[in-house]
Amino acid sequence: MPLVTRNIEPRHVCRQALPNTIRSELECVTNISLANIIRQLGSLSKYAEDLFGELFVQAGAFAIRVNTLGERVDRLQVKVTQLDPKEEEGKILCCLASLSWFPAQQTLSCISLQAITQKKAFHSNLIQDQQLFCRPSLPQPVQETYLTCNPPPPLNNLSQYRDDDKDALKFYTDPSYFFDLWKEKMLQDTKDIMKEKRKHRKEKKDNQNLRTLNPRKIKTRKDEWERRKMGEEFVVPKNDMGESLEGLNGSIGSGEGCYSPDGLDQSTGSYGLDPGSPLPHPTQDDFLPPPPPDMGYHDGQYGAPTQKRTSLLSPTHPPPAPPMPCSTPTGTRPNLSPPPAPPPPPPSTGFGVPPPPPPSGFDSSPPAPPPITNSAYPSPPAPPPPLSQASLSPPPPPSLPQGGGAPPPPPPPPPPGPPPPCGPPPPGPPPPSFSIGAPPPLKSTQAPSEAPPDAHSDLLSAIRQGFNLRKVEEQKEQEKKDNYGNDVAAILSRRIAVECSDSEDDSSELDDDDWSE
Amino acid sequence: MSGQDDPVQREIHQDWANREYIEVITSSIKKIADFLNSFDMSCRSRLATLNEKLTALERRIEYIEARHYVYVFLYPKVTKGETLT
Repeated sequence: MPLVTRNIEPRHVCRQALPNTIRSELECVTNISLANIIRQLGSLSKYAEDLFGELFVQAGAFAIRVNTLGERVDRLQVKVTQLDPKEEEGKILCCLASLSWFPAQQTLSCISLQAITQKKAFHSNLIQDQQLFCRPSLPQPVQETYLTCNPPPPLNNLSQYRDDDKDALKFYTDPSYFFDLWKEKMLQDTKDIMKEKRKHRKEKKDNQNLRTLNPRKIKTRKDEWERRKMGEEFVVPKNDMGESLEGLNGSIGSGEGCYSPDGLDQSTGSYGLDPGSPLPHPTQDDFLPPPPPDMGYHDGQYGAPTQKRTSLLSPTHPPPAPPMPCSTPTGTRPNLSPPPAPPPPPPSTGFGVPPPPPPSGFDSSPPAPPPITNSAYPSPPAPPPPLSQASLSPPPPPSLPQGGGAPPPPPPPPPPGPPPPCGPPPPGPPPPSFSIGAPPPLKSTQAPSEAPPDAHSDLLSAIRQGFNLRKVEEQKEQEKKDNYGNDVAAILSRRIAVECSDSEDDSSELDDDDWSE
Repeated sequence: MSGQDDPVQREIHQDWANREYIEVITSSIKKIADFLNSFDMSCRSRLATLNEKLTALERRIEYIEARHYVYVFLYPKVTKGETLT
């Protein structure tokens, strides 16, 4: 909706109600009109001043940049002209350094610049513009227009009465919702990719004979990049668009909040078919600027369902991420970040690891299942929220992790997979989660049936251990998250780096401790 | 007839004159507003072009500085045309 930046008031010069006592109305109208004209001139001059002020500020900034550039050019010029008559001043250290760099054969008199540059590649640090369209960067006139609007109701006064320590206003309106959602998704994708690579490496190491697996994995990545080559808009998911839409629609239509496992399975299935598709938005730098808006736009394939989803959900409960109906206690906003970490570990750890880990597997795995998400889309971020409680649904998780097999398709599915079971949020006592845990194992082909029995038997002890272990985990994750950059560029760059470093480093960068448990 | 309408007619004439006067002023105000808008747009587009050029220049200078730095600082003997010994 286009907004007028500067409105000149009053808009209508002559349209004003006349008092009844006036005798010469025509004169009255004339005088009123002239007065309004003067007011218009006043507001015009104010806006003109604002306009020229903005232009002046910009031009001033450019002037500064031009000056610094000029100085740099001068310095360079001096340096270059001094190149020839340069004496060997106190640069003995560099000589030694350069000696060590060059092998003996290369002590020729002519050393090309190319050789020099090859030794140390030029790396320019581009500062990407971020936070371009945030509230502080709003132009003054638009800010004034915005201030004339009604503020949101003071729902925050009710926050103290909430049990789950959440901002009450966030259920009504949350400006950072989309960014948080996107961030969770990005982090989750990063972890998924790393997990996939780790699995890949493990499989390579374990089975030399199964080389056929490798080409298949590599192909999917290339395939995904090729599909993105023409632009994110033209990406057609591997599965039918109609199928995915239908799946989502079905999942939504099947019940409010999509509690039917089949619907969820369908949606998660279609969602999980393509390992690349969980990432609806572009990961290339070209599309960097608006990640959250992009989310909405490129969610096109889920377009209608998305809106339907939110509209369906909003009356019942606030945006999927914050509410986490599944979760019993906490799950405050900050806890959104800790969640991503636990989900990945469970599936990966569960695979090759023998039963002993189940107790530890419980801790991390429970986080994964709880997620609500009737929609496949929020499901990756959703796993994070529910993690907080987690203890309630130990059974479903173990089933998945021990689902083993873990062929490529599942990387996204395992997290979304467990989530569906957790559909009926409620401070669910274990029994409900047990019954819900049944469908996912059935759905996932890798699902071994040994999980539920193990869960049953070790439930209490696992819960206790799970609590302890998870708290430490969450703290660790929290610290880790706090240290990382919270901005769009950092997140995206990390994700792209992870994705592009396909098989470069064999040694895992992260300690196994971070991922196991 | 004209006697009765004279004051009214005069008033109406006067009113029309006033209205024309007001109309002239308001159309001038609109012209000023249009001028300001177009001035703003053209200024912004020129500033944006300047910005692009500045950015390109800055990157080139960065590159040249880096290359020169490597060349001069790390291989001073080379710059003199002597062999590295």
